[in-house]
Amino acid sequence: MIHWQQIATTRIRLPTQLETQGRVSWWGFDSLNPKDSTHATVLQKMSQLPLQHPPFGEDSHMIRVHGLTKEFDDFNGVFRALDDISFEVQPGEIYGLLGPNGAGKTTCLRILSTVLRPTRGFAEVAGINVMHDAEAVRRNIGFMSCNTGIYDRMTAREMVEYFGRLYGIPEEKLQLRIEELFEILQMNEIRDRLGSKMSTGMKQKVSIARTIVHDPPVIIFDEPTSGLDVLVARNVLHAVAALKEQGKCIIFSTHIMREVEKLCDRIAVIHRGQIVDEGSLPELADRHDQPDVEELFFDLIQKRDDELSPTTVV
Amino acid sequence: MSWKNVKLIFLREVRDQLRDRRTLFMITILPVLLYPMLGLGMVEMMLTFSEQRRIVVVLNADEMPASPAFFNERGIADRWFSGSTDDASRLQIVTDLSVDTQQTEDSSGQGKHGKHSPDQLLENGRALAAKLAELRKATQARDAHVDLSEIQDRLGSVFAETGLQVLVIVPEGYAASIAALQNDANIDGADDDQQPPSLLVVRNSADDKSVVAFSRIQGALNRWEDELRAQTFEKAALRPALQNPARLKWVEVARGEQVAANVWSKMFPAMIVIMALTGAFYPAIDLGAGEKERGTMETLLISPARRVELVLGKFVTILMFSIGTALMNLLSMGFTGKHMASAMAGGIADTVSLELPGFHALMWLIILLIPLAALFSALCLALATFAKSTKEGQYYLTPLLMVVMGLTMFCLSPAVEITPLYSVIPVVNIALLLKGLLLSTSQSAELVIYAAPVLISSLGYSALALWWAIDLYNSEGVLFREAEKFDVRSWLRSLNRDKEPVPANHEAGFCFILILFLQFVAMSYMRPDLSGSDVEAGRKILQTTVIQQLTMIACPAIFMGLLLTTSLRATFRLRMPSLNSMLMGVGLAVLAHPLSIELSSFMVQSGVLPPPPVEGLNRINELLQSSELSPWLIVTVFAVTPAICEEIAFRGFILSGLARGGRLKIAVVVSSLMFGIIHMIPQQAFNAALLGLVLGLLAVHSRSLFPAMAFHLCNNAIATFHAKNGFGIEADGVFFSNGDGMLRYELPVLILCGLGVAAMVLRMVNDLRKEQDVKRADAMKAFNPPAELTKHIPAGA
Repeated sequence: MIHWQQIATTRIRLPTQLETQGRVSWWGFDSLNPKDSTHATVLQKMSQLPLQHPPFGEDSHMIRVHGLTKEFDDFNGVFRALDDISFEVQPGEIYGLLGPNGAGKTTCLRILSTVLRPTRGFAEVAGINVMHDAEAVRRNIGFMSCNTGIYDRMTAREMVEYFGRLYGIPEEKLQLRIEELFEILQMNEIRDRLGSKMSTGMKQKVSIARTIVHDPPVIIFDEPTSGLDVLVARNVLHAVAALKEQGKCIIFSTHIMREVEKLCDRIAVIHRGQIVDEGSLPELADRHDQPDVEELFFDLIQKRDDELSPTTVV
Repeated sequence: MSWKNVKLIFLREVRDQLRDRRTLFMITILPVLLYPMLGLGMVEMMLTFSEQRRIVVVLNADEMPASPAFFNERGIADRWFSGSTDDASRLQIVTDLSVDTQQTEDSSGQGKHGKHSPDQLLENGRALAAKLAELRKATQARDAHVDLSEIQDRLGSVFAETGLQVLVIVPEGYAASIAALQNDANIDGADDDQQPPSLLVVRNSADDKSVVAFSRIQGALNRWEDELRAQTFEKAALRPALQNPARLKWVEVARGEQVAANVWSKMFPAMIVIMALTGAFYPAIDLGAGEKERGTMETLLISPARRVELVLGKFVTILMFSIGTALMNLLSMGFTGKHMASAMAGGIADTVSLELPGFHALMWLIILLIPLAALFSALCLALATFAKSTKEGQYYLTPLLMVVMGLTMFCLSPAVEITPLYSVIPVVNIALLLKGLLLSTSQSAELVIYAAPVLISSLGYSALALWWAIDLYNSEGVLFREAEKFDVRSWLRSLNRDKEPVPANHEAGFCFILILFLQFVAMSYMRPDLSGSDVEAGRKILQTTVIQQLTMIACPAIFMGLLLTTSLRATFRLRMPSLNSMLMGVGLAVLAHPLSIELSSFMVQSGVLPPPPVEGLNRINELLQSSELSPWLIVTVFAVTPAICEEIAFRGFILSGLARGGRLKIAVVVSSLMFGIIHMIPQQAFNAALLGLVLGLLAVHSRSLFPAMAFHLCNNAIATFHAKNGFGIEADGVFFSNGDGMLRYELPVLILCGLGVAAMVLRMVNDLRKEQDVKRADAMKAFNPPAELTKHIPAGA
């Protein structure tokens, strides 16, 4: 059994808004500073307070999205992949994006990771607008998806080391961190194995290590379990849960209801570029009078399809 | 930008490539092994195969004079062949001399290609001789009933069937008549009838084998004739010196190393260009498209490294492999060549010692390799980034390889040497400079002056290509290109449905290509007929010009505007300009004219641009200056028409299309380049491209086409009158002077004009920059948080 709880034993201080906006490098790998407002409070209060009530007011949102819209040009005209999406996520929270394939989940998460630029709308990660300082945003997030592969001709250790260096982690700290991550993720036997010689499960471990090597405050998982067998998928879900315990702000997109039920504190059902409804699972079940998660999901999607069909000329 | 990240990425990519067996094979194993193997193979081939023997049939061989004897018992005597005995062995001589000669030929000849026995060959030869005699008789008789061409045709086909390559017919009594001639060498007694009959040599120039055999037998016969002449002179008691009164003698000054230089100067530039490209080709595909294909592109994109750093890291990697491949290939090829030359000493290569080029030449080679490899690396990276998969990457890079091969072939031609113009053409400049430097150590001082333009322009092109690659890395459409199914019908439908006020970038590009294509097609049809009187011809020129402007420049733009856009007003900038803009257009035209005249003539004088084709232009100028054409007509044709038509196309449709997306700078530059290209004649093209910049700026600044039209009209009108009579301004030597029969401007005028133009251009650029800044800030507002979110942010933030 992997001890996921240990994943972030060496603490990295979270950036304060001032530091990130002033583009001050916040890499220090200090041991946890009790006076540090954000991170310390998160950890202290997390165990005491129910998550529905944010522990320190509305300003602590790690991710804020408002009116986000993304349009693509293609042969069939302009395609609106995201249409006026708004949501907020707090530290220590797993926010689930639930939707069928092509709903706009990946587009939304790619915008948050600054790989895509929004057409209009506001998106902020760790207090930084994605349109203002993309590099700083990327330094504050870990991103893992089925599209973020690992290099075939690199060993596990080289891969994690390479990304750690790109994040600018000082060499000594990086080596410590890698030792620790490889220990916890039980990757020591694949340390010197080339990517091309790894199984899917091993690759996924390397991907997780790569995602959290810089201990980011925000972690984005875009369908991280797609194409994995049950055991590997289970391990990934454990890792996500453990990271939440560390007070990370997590977005988790999936089309699998079971995962949402297990992990997410709040979910947004997204379909055809719009959020159909948002809230914690019990809230949604109450609101739509449908205790079965799967049925709830289909109902919401059907609702959106019905909404669109009279207006859309096909 | 962080160089640390660039270094990190570079080191990773290099390690990645070195772990790839294919890359290692391409850049190290292949060159190290390939050339020695090829060399060995060539030596083997030479030793194993000798050239096939060509068959020469000699009829009536016994009629040849006995002294000097052309034949010996084995065929033609060896002494009639120059150099080695190879030539003799490469000819199979079949004569009707005696049976035992034929027997010896029999054994050797039939072993090789026993199609025809010597007897048969002789028989065929005789049949051919008979046909020939028939033809000659018919020609001499001039018989109308006999179709000469038919006999000739038959003769050709008979010759092909005989299986022999050259037929030599010795006429009857040849030896006797030569002897008679030698005995009676007196000029008085000579008369035409006593000329001996001629020796006939029949060949077929369309058949390579026959040509080779003929050249050998011709050499032998010539030497034999020389000997015969010497004998004749001796018998006639003439001085032997009279045989060669002109006494020609050839002196060879090339030393061995120069011969080698000649070989290297042809091989190295070609090899270096092709190998630098090949060396960039495979790593680029792997680093660009391969990254997408293996699904690691997004992993890299979400790292904090900036796109510039990614591109630079990859670029330096490709550059290293490109240089490495080129150098490895050159080294291997050089040493193999040298080794082979010495190994084969005593053979054909004994005259050529393949000394490697000297230290200086090799230094130049390395210096010039860097910008060349940089250009290829950046280009390959850009193309490979654009591709979705490695397969697609190869599709894109193959045309590049072909273009470069074409340019290299051009440079290999011995007549092509570096000129100021060539020194700024990519790839060609480096190949030609290198060729010159390798060819001659003595002239290198002359060539070194070209080094600066060659290096600067090449590095400039590399920087452009690199900028393009970075731009592609910033374009999400390129990075996340889905495999779209291309369906012509849905594309056409979308063209019609998704019309926008102004054309798209590619539509503008297509409009330019269409105009270019129409001009190309019409080149042969639209040549004005210059026959008839001057006035008539002049009118025809005017007419053609107007038709050309209307149909080939204005029409495509207008029709594309009608079909592809929703707003003609926006596309063709049909807005009322401010009075200020109109005045600026006219003023700029007046001020820019002296500058453009002097600049282009300076460029021609310094050799950068070729001089205009004087003959054609003079004739046209003459015709147009004939007083019977009213000056107003000429101004209408040469100023008003282009001002309307060309502006509609270039500052209208094309510039509007290119400027969509807000990239004004690039749009103006590209549209002016297009405007230049359409003018064809280099000098005009250069002028037009420069003026195109001002025109584009005017159009973008005023948002109207009319100031650009005003500029264009004034410019052309001024140029017309300048060519005609120089506005009646008299040369005073201070401001104006006279040169080449036209008004020239002196420095004071140029400085004034330059200041004026610079002031106006700067003002426009400034206005545009401010406007762009405001626009950009406005655009960024779309990404700002809404008001209800901002109020929660603490006051300290």
